[in-house]
Amino acid sequence: MEKDGKISSGEESLRIITEMIDKTKVNIVQSSFHLLFWGWLIFACSVSEILIYRFTHFASPWYVWFFVIPGVFISVIYGFQKGRKASVHTYAEMLYAYTWIGFLFATIVLFIIHSHNIESIGKYILMLAGIPTFIGGFVLRFRPLIYGGISFWMFALIAHFGTPVVAALSIPAAMLTGYLIPGYMLKWKNRDDRI
Amino acid sequence: MTEYKELDPLLHSQLRLAVISILISVEQAEFTYIKEKTGATAGNLSVQITRLKESGYIEVTKRFRDNYPQTMCNITPLGRERFAEYVEALRGYLDPGKQK
Repeated sequence: MEKDGKISSGEESLRIITEMIDKTKVNIVQSSFHLLFWGWLIFACSVSEILIYRFTHFASPWYVWFFVIPGVFISVIYGFQKGRKASVHTYAEMLYAYTWIGFLFATIVLFIIHSHNIESIGKYILMLAGIPTFIGGFVLRFRPLIYGGISFWMFALIAHFGTPVVAALSIPAAMLTGYLIPGYMLKWKNRDDRI
Repeated sequence: MTEYKELDPLLHSQLRLAVISILISVEQAEFTYIKEKTGATAGNLSVQITRLKESGYIEVTKRFRDNYPQTMCNITPLGRERFAEYVEALRGYLDPGKQK
């Protein structure tokens, strides 16, 4: 299709505008990567912490959470590289990315404020993680992610009111409902990674 | 008698309207992305982008990515304003009863 002529009618103008806007839909290539990467990383850390606590005499099982630090670098480098290679940046993508960056900074602040009682930080992280997940669901127009965000808040409550075992299990459970299930659904929804 | 607002001649062209419609919905887009979405030839698109740039409707930034030149385009506040006016005028043509 080659366009260079004058527009013959108002309907044609409207058709061009809607057709072009429709073609610039949210690119979700990166979204499923980050959801699956973080879903598996946090799932592995939380399950490892439970197993170390249950089956060993190691005094500080929460040390496994130090694996999150290289995870942040991997995620940031991947996002930066993909962003640099992208031929288009939509407002929705930028909102999505900056909501997650905001979550990252809020989490760092939370770790500093709560450093005296790091063992009980999980429920607060879940509470914070619900926000970008919930907003991300709306930005990507992807309902499972909205439900995933809500599930984070539910598991934060369960972690707060439940027994220590229930609290520990609430984190891997939240990873399943909040990141992994929506992440795989997002990946499989469209193989060409667009919605 | 219904008075119609004049449609901006710069936007009232198939390719230029298509370019502005893409740029209104994204923060920044590469030349090749716009070319792919509009289906235009590189030469024609380049001419129309230059016209939009010279009129201040869009900004064009050239940079290098992995040793290859990359042309990025984004809409300016003026372009956004003109597009809004164009859509408003268009609404008057399509639905004369609602013309202000």
